This record gives sequence, C-alpha cells and structure tokens, in this order.
Amino acid sequence: MWKKFLLIVILFYLFALLQNSFFTHFSLFGTTPNLVFILFFLLVFLAKKDPPARTGSYYQILFFSITAGFLLDIFTYKYIGLSIIYLIIIAVLLKKIQSLLQDSSENYPFIYFLPLFAIFLLAYNQAITPYLNWTILFSLAYNLIFATIFFFINKKCLKYTG
Amino acid sequence: MTVIMSSLKNFSVNNKSRKWPKFLIGAGLLVAILFILNVFVAPIRNSFLTMSGGIQKTFWSAGESSSGFFGVIFKSGNLAQENENLKNQNQILLSQVAALQSIEQGNLAQSSVSAACQNSGFTLLMAGVTGLDKDILSISKGSADGITEGMPVINQQNVLVGKILKVYKNYSEIMLASSKNSVINVKVLQSDATLPEIDGVVKGDGGLNAHLDLVPINSKINPNDILVTSSLEKSFPKDLLLGKIIQKKSNDQQPFQQAQISLFFDVKTADNLFVITNYKR
Repeated sequence: MWKKFLLIVILFYLFALLQNSFFTHFSLFGTTPNLVFILFFLLVFLAKKDPPARTGSYYQILFFSITAGFLLDIFTYKYIGLSIIYLIIIAVLLKKIQSLLQDSSENYPFIYFLPLFAIFLLAYNQAITPYLNWTILFSLAYNLIFATIFFFINKKCLKYTG
Repeated sequence: MTVIMSSLKNFSVNNKSRKWPKFLIGAGLLVAILFILNVFVAPIRNSFLTMSGGIQKTFWSAGESSSGFFGVIFKSGNLAQENENLKNQNQILLSQVAALQSIEQGNLAQSSVSAACQNSGFTLLMAGVTGLDKDILSISKGSADGITEGMPVINQQNVLVGKILKVYKNYSEIMLASSKNSVINVKVLQSDATLPEIDGVVKGDGGLNAHLDLVPINSKINPNDILVTSSLEKSFPKDLLLGKIIQKKSNDQQPFQQAQISLFFDVKTADNLFVITNYKR
C-alpha cells in the first residue's frame, strides 16, 4: 500500500516539475496543462469506496488533495494552503456528486468524467487567479486533451493490474 | 412523515454529533499546519526549489529543444532556427535604433554621455531560468548572489523581462511585464525623430500578454511602432526594448488610446537572463 502512495507522490512531484518547466515551451495562448490537477482529479474520480466503511476513500482523497495542493502552492508562488483547501473541497464535492449519481458498478464512465473535470478545473482556476477572457477556453481544451489521455492510460493500467 | 422526521433527527443527533467534533479537530489541525507552513514559507520554498533546481533546469532545456524540434517539423525545414536568429538580430537592431533616436532627440552631447552611463554602467548578473507559472518566472539566483526585490531583469538583446518580485536564498521570482500587476511607463518610438515623444503605459493582461494604454488621444500611433521604457519609469532604466504595437484599439468614448501589443521577450526561448544589480531608482 505504501508503495502505491510513494509512487503517487513521485508522480505528483514529476508532474509539477514538468508543468512548470517542460510544458512552458508548449504553451497555447499563455496556458499550459495543469498536470498535477489532472492527476489529482483522476485519482479522486477513480478512488474506490473501501467496504465496509467508506472512510478509507476519504483518507485517500485527503492525502491526494494535500499532496497535490502542496506542490501546486510551492510552484505557483502563492501562500501555502490555498490549493490544499480548494482541492479538499473539490474532492469532497466530487465524491458527493459521484455518490448522487449512484454508480454502484464503480465503473465510472468517461461521460461523467469530462464535464465534471471541466467544471471543477474552471472553478479551481477562478478561485486561484480570477480572470475571464477567451483564453479560458483554450486552457480548458488543452487540459481536457491531457485529461482524456490520462483517463484512458489509467483505465488501461487498471485493466492490466486488475 | 413522522418516520422521516425521526430518522432525520436520529441522523442529526447520532451521526452529526459524532462527526462534527472529528471534523472540527481535523480542520483545526489542518489550519494550524498551514499556518506553521506559511510562517516558514521562505525556507521551505527555497529548499524545495533548490532540491528541484537541477531536474527543473533539465526539463526546461528539454522543453526548449523539443519545442524547437517540433517547430522545425511543423514548419518543414530550418525555419524555426532561422526565425529565431532573425528575431535576435532584429531585437539588437531595434535596440540600436532606440539608442540612436534617444541621442538624436535630446542634446547630442548630454544624451551620449547619459546613454553611455545607462548602457555600460550596469552590473549584470546572469541567472538561469528554471520555471514559469502564470507570468512569474523563477531563476536560479537569489539573495546569496546579491539579488534584492525590485531589480530590473533583461535578456541578452536588452529586452526588458520584468522585475524581481520575491527573493529567496538561492532562488528569485520575476514578475514579467505581462503580469496583471505590472504597469510600465513607456514611450512610442516614432519613425520621424523630430516628432514629439509619445508617452503611454504598458499594462500586463496575464497569460504572457500585455496592452498599451493611456496614450493621449491626439497622438498618432501605428502598427509596428516600437515601445521602449521611458525616462518617467522609476523601476527600470530608460530605453529598454519592450514590444511593438500590433493593432490600435479604437474607442471614441475613452479619453486615451489603447493598442494591442506584442512583447519582445519570448519566454520559450529564455534560457539565461540578466539581473541589473546596480540600478538606482
């Protein structure tokens, strides 16, 4: 179990470095993909409810939120904690929405993923740096492409690892 | 109805009463941890960035070469490199034009002395770029190297990049001219040097974009006019290249003219920058 969490921390760290350095050179209208947010959202979205209690899932998403939020805050040169709090709120809301959707099969479809991702990314971006102009659409489209790729990679990995 | 009410009551009494203290303790702990982290934010961030500096620099260089590589593929030829060279040459030439115009406009003798002081009297500290996030660039030099907040930053073509926003021991953050918090006094270089100087300000829009504002309504500005820092500007030396006008925004209801501009500084090609360490405001 700890190996999985260590791997997740390393992945978050690598993604944070990549989005702040490597992907800066591939920016579209000044926007770069928020890889840390994409990974965080995907992990929370696919976090399974641990029977019999569901608390395990909540500890997991808390861990994801704190790790991702801390790295986002460190590399976005803002106060430490803003992203952590926003990500915790997003994670809890996402889980609540998913429980309302009552997907008992735990096989969360892609059709839920994309709109929820788009809404929460917009909300997160507005909360961190409020701005309203046409580049939001490019930023959203750019992030959605990466989110889609990550979603299917993750599905494939889950399929092979069982 | 009674059943629903009683179940709600049970829920609120049993579950909520058990959950709330836990939630409050958790939230309190989180707030306390975040408070402590923010008290020590400078050393934490500095050690984190120092630790990541090597990898980040590698990723930055990899991104730079990959973007160039893909650019070459997409443009089917050696156009990317050629374009880059032309841009550099153009910026150097524009810098020379800016200096020459400044000399021509004022008293020749005085201007040449002042230009010489301005252009050669600066102590430059070279620093490698390590990362970018929303118009804030990080460089691998900090207070240990003599950098302080507010110092101007330029690139090798004498193009203004921005100013030092925050300094850590081994790292610094640069607020780019495109940052939403950036306002820079500029003058518009005229093709005819005998014409009076046109002043304005460049305001950052975020997302590596900026626009020209507060240009008097009776002044004539045109696309491709060059913008340089003006002598009114206190944070930066004068005559540093900043950008050029792309399109004039016409709005008769406003007392000033605005224009869409293109900044000369391209973050994608920035590898090393220069901090002016001895500029006196």
